[in-house]
Amino acid sequence: MLLIHCPYCEQDLPELEFAYAGEAHIARPTDPSKLSDEEWRDFLFIRTNPKGVHFERWRHLNGCARFFNAVRETVGDKFLATYKTGEPRPDITSLMGDAK
Amino acid sequence: MNAMTSTASAGVTIAELPPTTRIALRIADPAGIGFGLPTTVGARSAEGARTALCLGPDEWLLEAPEAERDALLASLSGIAAPHSAVEVSDREITYALEGPAVLDLLATGCPRDLARMPVGSGARTVFDTAQVVLVREADDRFHLTVWRSFAPHVRALLDIAERELAAGL
Amino acid sequence: MTTYRLPNRGRVDHGKPVRFSFDGKSYQGLAGDTLASALLANGVHLMGRSFKYHRPRGVVSAGSDEPNALFGTRRGAGRFEPNTRATIQELREGLDATSQNRWPSLAFDMGAINDNLGSLFSAGFYYKTFMWPRAFWDRVYEPVIRNAAGLGVSPSEPDADSYASRFAHVDVLVVGAGPAGLAAALAAGRSGASVMLVDENSEVGGTLLSEPAVTIDDKPAWDWLAATTAEFDALPNVTVMTRTTAIGYYHQNLVGLCQRLTDHLDTPPEGAPRERMWKVRAREVVLAQGALEKPLVFDGNDRPGVLLAGAAQTYLNRYGVKVGDRPAIVTAHDSAWYTAFDLAEAGAKPAAIVDVRATVDHALTDRARALGIEALLGRTVTGTSGRLRVKSLRVNRMDGGKAGEARDIACDAVLMCGGWTPCLHLFSHTQGKLTWDEALQVYLPGKKTETVQIAGAGRGLWSIAASLEDGANAGTLAARDVGCQAEAPAFTVSADRTGSGVTCKELPTDRDAGKAKAFIDFQNDVTAKDIRLAVREGMRSIEHVKRYTTNGMATDQGKMSNVNGLMIAADALGKAPPQVGLTTFRPPYSPTTFGSFAGYHKDATFEVTRKTPIDGWAEAQGAAYEPVSLWRRAWYFPKPGEDMHAAVSRECRGARASVGIFDASTLGKIEVVGPDAVTFMERMYTNPWAKLAPGRCRYGLLLGEDGFIRDDGVIGRLSADRFHVTTTTGGAARVLNMMEDYLQTEWPDLKVWLTSTTEQWAVVALQGPNARKVLEPFVEGLDISAEAFPHMAVAECTVAGFPARLFRVSFTGELGFEVNVPARHGRALWEKLWEAGQQYDIVPYGTETMHVLRAEKGYIIVGQDTDGTLTPDDAGLTWAIGKAKPDFVGKRSLTRPDMVAKGRKQLVGLLTDDPKVVLQEGAQIVADPAQPKPMTMIGHVTSSYWSDALGRSIAMAVVVDGRDRDGQTLHVPMPDGTITAKVVKGTVFLDPENARISV
Repeated sequence: MLLIHCPYCEQDLPELEFAYAGEAHIARPTDPSKLSDEEWRDFLFIRTNPKGVHFERWRHLNGCARFFNAVRETVGDKFLATYKTGEPRPDITSLMGDAK
Repeated sequence: MNAMTSTASAGVTIAELPPTTRIALRIADPAGIGFGLPTTVGARSAEGARTALCLGPDEWLLEAPEAERDALLASLSGIAAPHSAVEVSDREITYALEGPAVLDLLATGCPRDLARMPVGSGARTVFDTAQVVLVREADDRFHLTVWRSFAPHVRALLDIAERELAAGL
Repeated sequence: MTTYRLPNRGRVDHGKPVRFSFDGKSYQGLAGDTLASALLANGVHLMGRSFKYHRPRGVVSAGSDEPNALFGTRRGAGRFEPNTRATIQELREGLDATSQNRWPSLAFDMGAINDNLGSLFSAGFYYKTFMWPRAFWDRVYEPVIRNAAGLGVSPSEPDADSYASRFAHVDVLVVGAGPAGLAAALAAGRSGASVMLVDENSEVGGTLLSEPAVTIDDKPAWDWLAATTAEFDALPNVTVMTRTTAIGYYHQNLVGLCQRLTDHLDTPPEGAPRERMWKVRAREVVLAQGALEKPLVFDGNDRPGVLLAGAAQTYLNRYGVKVGDRPAIVTAHDSAWYTAFDLAEAGAKPAAIVDVRATVDHALTDRARALGIEALLGRTVTGTSGRLRVKSLRVNRMDGGKAGEARDIACDAVLMCGGWTPCLHLFSHTQGKLTWDEALQVYLPGKKTETVQIAGAGRGLWSIAASLEDGANAGTLAARDVGCQAEAPAFTVSADRTGSGVTCKELPTDRDAGKAKAFIDFQNDVTAKDIRLAVREGMRSIEHVKRYTTNGMATDQGKMSNVNGLMIAADALGKAPPQVGLTTFRPPYSPTTFGSFAGYHKDATFEVTRKTPIDGWAEAQGAAYEPVSLWRRAWYFPKPGEDMHAAVSRECRGARASVGIFDASTLGKIEVVGPDAVTFMERMYTNPWAKLAPGRCRYGLLLGEDGFIRDDGVIGRLSADRFHVTTTTGGAARVLNMMEDYLQTEWPDLKVWLTSTTEQWAVVALQGPNARKVLEPFVEGLDISAEAFPHMAVAECTVAGFPARLFRVSFTGELGFEVNVPARHGRALWEKLWEAGQQYDIVPYGTETMHVLRAEKGYIIVGQDTDGTLTPDDAGLTWAIGKAKPDFVGKRSLTRPDMVAKGRKQLVGLLTDDPKVVLQEGAQIVADPAQPKPMTMIGHVTSSYWSDALGRSIAMAVVVDGRDRDGQTLHVPMPDGTITAKVVKGTVFLDPENARISV
């Protein structure tokens, strides 16, 4: 059971309060009708699934109820950072430096 | 200290509280609406018998005695800024948990470190598999609020834990 | 009976005898004994039979690593446990223990024939033997293997015990309360940090319990221990838990602990759980798990009476039990010499100390000589004798690396020591790297992944002095890391008997090594030659060797066998041990009951059972229930003598003929409020909402972004900025989560908020031509006549004196109302309507009747008639799509090529040719029943019922290009014959004009 830092509650809280919500930074196109079938397919189904640093979404479901973003290193299953919805991706290089 | 004896003689009591008025208030910016809403998640403010617990960045649980229900609803309808006020008085049941072993009682189902929860604050969290709102009313007193249909399950678990604490092991 | 108990020795209470039974025979032990020490005190070494060969076995260890001494233990009905380790189970009054894996008796076991068929049971036995004939796999091999497999007997009764669980949060968790752990807890505890110290034994002390002659700070070890324990007791920030095994080490310093609460008690207190699972989150962890003693690998090293030297020392010093009068010691390490000395001083006559090393410290040989013990250096051991108890040891000289002249040494016990290996299990759970120490010939903890320190023998520090110092440093660092001021306490230690040794593969023999039964893994009966055979047969990776031989795969997790297995595999492969590597240790550290994992989740609290406010009424009426997600819902209300079919038919008739009453409280409800509420609804649901007037309702259809149906429900607009959304019972939480997701992350600019009101409202549905007549007298502040309050109207009013939201809706095809009142009034409202309905023969109905009534009208149930692959068009719901809307969730997907292609499965009606036959839901459909198998399945039945109103069966099905098959006969092959049925394009079977709804 991980400890997850909720960027809204500003506390490290038990994973049991959270729900995973898929890859982050995949914005819904503002006008889906403009997308080709292939582009729409990619938006719907294509995900990175990296071995290593992954930008992903979590929801503090049993807490403040906010969706937020996280950077997790998937090999060691460790969070490098969490940040609020709408904020830009943090710099991976400096995060990896912190992890060491 | 031996863990086996620390709670052996310490009791807890579990009591269901009578109905109260509860409003789920949602508003983007609580400044200037005149309710003195706390803006830190987990913080609670009180004004007379009314309390406002900040559950999320734009979410408050307002509680008031039933006698003040209509007055509270009336004052909420006077808020000019876009907001949502939904009565949820009957959605949930509140239990008062009290006694020197209350932290042990809650530790049977709640993964949060409640020893660090300041008196007068609260949070939405989980107890076993049920979502609950916990408020620390005093060092040794918590209010646990849970959706009505989950309440029997939570109550049954609390009763088991109470017997376990009484057994002293 | 001979007693091997030494008066006034050990930590047992010589004044407190305890009676217990073993295989039906009564014995006496002492308070403070384990089952193993009590049996040894009675001279009993034969304690079990081995797993595969059924060889007689005795206890080998004195701790949780015990592979042999496994018993069935019983404490009354429902309290039987197989594979209880005698070395862990404390003696209690009346303990009832039985041996395992033997028939008819422990001393004479028919299964021991396997021992003589050993060549049949070599490594890879299963893979090689049960290959053919194929027909034997299911009928012969599997039943026989299943019957023979497994240790002990599964309990046959429900577990009568209860189990607890608890979360804990500490600054420093110390695992293991030997010298290193005690010192760590002292250092951290004195600093004020919150400390939890746990140990799997019944008391703290670890090695010190077996080494009473050591002095620490000028106090005898046990006095120091008492003082230390007293200091812990006085520190409110230190919690000490014994009988508590750290079973697993998970992310971010979450450690699972299993605490045994009552197994040791003569009479457990009322209401006490048997075990408690702790989930401890520690800021710092100190692992002080110590080291495990390795057996030596030689032919006959498994006879009863052959045990680890360190265990013998524990039995002697901690329990006051001599394991034999004439023990022979076989060792590769100094520590066993001290065991021999202690036994000699306690009155035993050690037969010899046999050391594989050619030279040892003179102090040892001098002391042996002084005690009159023969010391044989540079020897090998090539066999033992004795059927149910070891009688002699065969010792050979070593000549030029080969076993030479042999000699038999008579003995009544053999105490072996192959050296010590750090206990790395928990560290390995964290994926911490292990590094091979060439000098010590052991694996040590290497690169860490967690905030953890390993102290003492767990990182190869063998002496008590070094372990105390190391533990104190670890505890100090941990305390400082959590922000406490800590100073490492210093200890002065004397009479610290440290030693060194060598690491061995199997001992050389002058006999046929292929016939030797030199055991590595006692519990899984794996021998040295099995490992070598595995390598010969092509296994190269240690993981393959492990699986092929099952070495280390027993419940003891290879505590004794892993390193010996590695040394032999490395030798067979011609590689150095670090090039071969160790297999992975996984949780739990030692066998853990299912009960402690389940915790409180059993019986009535197995899982949440959600009940509506009206559930109690249904229960009093004798309703049958069905689970719907976490809810239990009234399924039907049988009258005396009625079966389900009769009850449902009666309920259906009652609702269609007059009026039925139904508890719809479980429907999910979401209040959507805010100035942008209508914009939000437009974007979420397929339907148009902008023109829906306040006071009106509309059926809403929700898709996923992939275009497939996710949920549906009736949605009422209460005012310009307020919608009352209903969802399916099972979809409530999912839909709210999906809406929140879009609102928070895609459209954060929208000023609208969502609040779950599922449980705020109890919902009573009145359905049937007389529904209005029943309801009307109760309604205040609203005209509910057909003209004033038409179908799909919603209003706030008062019903029976309760504030209400009244919907005129129908899921039955009849005139219908759904009354929402605050949940606390639900039961009262129901009872009033029930009473008033008596004059109309009102009938309460359950979910089954609700399903039949809606199916007659062709209304779908999302999740039953849809399965996550149906588009609105597939389900015949294109009418619910707002064609003029520029966008809504899932819209873009509806024009993807695959979504508009021919060959999609479409929802259609299905009427059996024989109207009396009710199809089975889920049954597969084929076009041609004569085609060869496997047939091409073109769809399946989604809903199927007996319709009382139509006097025949009805069904819905999804069928490839179903709507094009209107009138076609399809076939449903069932085990007892094929059923024929005709496709009907529409799914509405009753009242297609909706005349009954609009009255």
